[in-house]
Amino acid sequence: MAKSICTALREGALEGELAPALTIKDSIASPFGLQVFDHVLSQLFSSILAGKSPSQGLILVSFSRSPSFYLELLKNKGISVASSDKRIQILDCYNDPLGWKDQLVEISSTVTVFREVKHMDKLFNSIIELGRGLVGGGKIRFSISIDSVDEMLRWASVSSVARLLSNLRSHEQISSIFWLLHSDLHKARVTAVLEYLSSMVASLEPSHQLANGQRGDLENFALIEHNSKNGKFHVRFKKRNGRVRVMSEEVHMEQSGINFTPLSSEGAINQGLVPKVQFNLQLSEKERIDKANVVLPFEHQGDNGKPLQIYDGRRSLVDSKQERAVAVEKEESDSQRGEIIYYRDSDDEMPDSDEDPDDDLDI
Amino acid sequence: MAAAKTRASSFSRNLSTAAPSLGPGLKCGPNGTVLLSSGIPDLDKILGGGFSLGSLVMVMEDAEAPHHMLLLRNFMAQGLVHGQPLLYASPARDPRGFLGTLPSPAASKDDKSRGPEPDQEKGLRIAWQYKKYFGENQLNFDGQRDGKHEYSNEFNLRNPLERHFFNGQRVDCVSIQDSPDLSILQDRCTTFLSQLPRNDGSISCAGRIAIQSFCSPQCVYSNMEWEMLSFIRSLKNMVRSSNSVAIITFPPSLLSPSFCKRWQHMADTLLSVKAIQDDDKELAQLLTGYQDMIGFLNVHKVARINTQVPVILEATTFSIKLQKRRYLVLECLNQAPVDGSSGNSDGTSGSCSSSSKTGSLDF
Amino acid sequence: MNQRSSNLLDEALGLDQAIEPWPLRGRVVAIEDRVETSGSFILHHLLKRSLSRNPSSVSIFIAFAHPFSHYDRILRKLGCNLVSQRDNGRFFFFDMLKLRCPVGDEGTTPGGGLIALYGKIHKTISALPEISQKNVSIIIDDLSLMEVAANGSSDHVLDFLHYCRTLTSEFDCSLITLNHEDIYSIEDGSTFLLQMAYLADILIKAEPLATGLAADVHGQLTVSNKGRNKASNFHFKVKENMVECFYPGRSRD
Repeated sequence: MAKSICTALREGALEGELAPALTIKDSIASPFGLQVFDHVLSQLFSSILAGKSPSQGLILVSFSRSPSFYLELLKNKGISVASSDKRIQILDCYNDPLGWKDQLVEISSTVTVFREVKHMDKLFNSIIELGRGLVGGGKIRFSISIDSVDEMLRWASVSSVARLLSNLRSHEQISSIFWLLHSDLHKARVTAVLEYLSSMVASLEPSHQLANGQRGDLENFALIEHNSKNGKFHVRFKKRNGRVRVMSEEVHMEQSGINFTPLSSEGAINQGLVPKVQFNLQLSEKERIDKANVVLPFEHQGDNGKPLQIYDGRRSLVDSKQERAVAVEKEESDSQRGEIIYYRDSDDEMPDSDEDPDDDLDI
Repeated sequence: MAAAKTRASSFSRNLSTAAPSLGPGLKCGPNGTVLLSSGIPDLDKILGGGFSLGSLVMVMEDAEAPHHMLLLRNFMAQGLVHGQPLLYASPARDPRGFLGTLPSPAASKDDKSRGPEPDQEKGLRIAWQYKKYFGENQLNFDGQRDGKHEYSNEFNLRNPLERHFFNGQRVDCVSIQDSPDLSILQDRCTTFLSQLPRNDGSISCAGRIAIQSFCSPQCVYSNMEWEMLSFIRSLKNMVRSSNSVAIITFPPSLLSPSFCKRWQHMADTLLSVKAIQDDDKELAQLLTGYQDMIGFLNVHKVARINTQVPVILEATTFSIKLQKRRYLVLECLNQAPVDGSSGNSDGTSGSCSSSSKTGSLDF
Repeated sequence: MNQRSSNLLDEALGLDQAIEPWPLRGRVVAIEDRVETSGSFILHHLLKRSLSRNPSSVSIFIAFAHPFSHYDRILRKLGCNLVSQRDNGRFFFFDMLKLRCPVGDEGTTPGGGLIALYGKIHKTISALPEISQKNVSIIIDDLSLMEVAANGSSDHVLDFLHYCRTLTSEFDCSLITLNHEDIYSIEDGSTFLLQMAYLADILIKAEPLATGLAADVHGQLTVSNKGRNKASNFHFKVKENMVECFYPGRSRD
């Protein structure tokens, strides 16, 4: 499924269509957004390099991590930066977003420093300019990735950020765009705005929800530890035909990187805590007690001070010695009302067997 | 409790002899601090000797009872008796009038016979909790080493302080009701503290600042939360670099929860007072001496200047009593009667119900 | 002795395995505490560790909470002389007790408040010899007071922290901050704590036990190490010369 996201971003927009846009959304309970972002970024970039995509270049707008980190990341994924120099440009909004620094050492030609993040219009122009410098003018397309919308939202209003994103999406040269959002840093409306603007939403959720306000509790510690490595990954595609496709996966953080596995099969194996099924196979203690307390309507309730007797299809051993093969209600004094007398067919038949008595019936 | 007691007494005895010259009403505390008395001998014992110079003490008021005034009165009166400079700020129109309500020390002019034999005082060191059995005349032996000055006095709340104590020039009163912002108070504090600079070596004089009901609603600035916080911060830092102690009392219910916590973090020593319910039969059964209690005092935090080790008291809740309707006494509620040295005057009776007590008094 | 007894905390931070390269290099460590349980001892511990790891390491301490003498006395008891370290140019103490950012203008004027502070830090690091530049720890005590100094503009503090963070990528230094967890409530819509949690590579929480404070256990620590995808939880007891860390119920070990 992570694959299908990458495919959609790789294939890009058709002529006259809005560019596909992906929101990667996480929260502090499952803060793997950056890792997912890295994954998508390197997948997309390697397909651009391989020429599998109509997009000819990638602009990375870095807010929350330094450009050198990304260069290192791509290098670790086996993508040589030197050769890819003409395919990627990083707009550095990380090192000096507000212009506090006097001088800055430029790391490489790949990186351009941007110092006025409060002006979204200038940011838009810089991005487009950078992209044109990368792929040239005309109809050649390029992709954009923004590593944190949160930082932008801190410096600019929601509407100006939304305008920037929507302008980028509708720009004729842009093939696809994706960004990262920490949803709990913002009001629900902001998240809704960004989801509205995107054609795909990938959200990360903890695999075990913790009760609120007990984050540091010892009893929850096992869950916290579990959540620090695993999470659920949901994707909603708004498809061209108007349908919405929803998919879910598991993510696991490993030393080597992020790992996606299908939800159903691997889930039960990988986490020893609770089986990952939609229905409960076991009852919790409380459920068990509640169940025991339910008064069934057809059960003899043992009123009148008589001991409770429930016919279970066979008599207890003691009784059955005296009245073999016949099971009768003993309380004849009580049985003024209706009663059912049951004769077992034969002794060799197992009491109340599961066999269908009409099995051999030929209808 | 016990730990605090022993430490307090051992420090006061061991170090005061070797210490550099200290002015009246001062003694050496742990970690190179210098202590002054809160004006309530019991509170001094609880806190390990008194308030450290340079610390900010905050008292959370009970909206329904004026117990914080008791603490303030004794604190101020103690300073005046020692001839220490005082700055008093209050939301009342005429703060100076409040000085007339300060209690007078019980040492000299009490109706009871107060002629303590000197040898008895010097020769004996009596566990403080037994002092009450000796009557109030001997309560002050701790500070009377030299026969000149006492470290702390017992104050008789029924006798007003003699006027000559507070007609001196070093007493300053400010009304904070009408000032539109805190700059006036800030300036007064700065001027006041500038006469008490901290330099190494001998400390001849220490000042006291008492600010009553700092965020009370009649003050114009009382909705300027950041300004108040900023004032407290700057006061704390000024006090820290001078020879003085500042007490601020405030009604926590008038602050937003988040700011209330911020204020609590500001405090070096954090106390709270709580009213006791009248004619509470349940409480009367649980607590011995319920009839004499007028309220509770909670110790939340004890100043840790120059150390990283927290002070853990054995008991944090104390009952406030007026002994003979004159003397302010603090007694421990939940005691550990291992060695029979509990602070409760009726120590034996309290022990059996100590656990339930703490539960019911959990505030 | 200290080395051994503090193993759990060091272990959780990755300090037990290798001192070189410094495991906190290029990392942001956020410490959160509460009124009942102060977390400042972790700052002291990390300050001591970072000063004693190698002879060229440098610590920059930005103090909003206490004067120098306070830290000096504490660190001396921990076996570290700040005065001599300061004289050797390995410990830089920025006394910010009196700092007040100019009201209004959001501190956009350079030279005002936090921008100037950042400039000072940057200059200090730039002036260091090459070998020390790679071994800097920046310690801030504490962020809530920085907010007060910035007149409650937490965005301004976040900007400052962002710039401090660029130092971690530029010079590979570590950034260690203390803040109070209980002063922010979700209802207020304050996201400062969350922002810090996202920013931090390692999050350390100091909390009281559910049963309250005791003389033998001063509280519990929860350390979430994002870099290693690890979380750990243990109890602690603060002493003058060290911090004892132990798993629940093993204080006598």
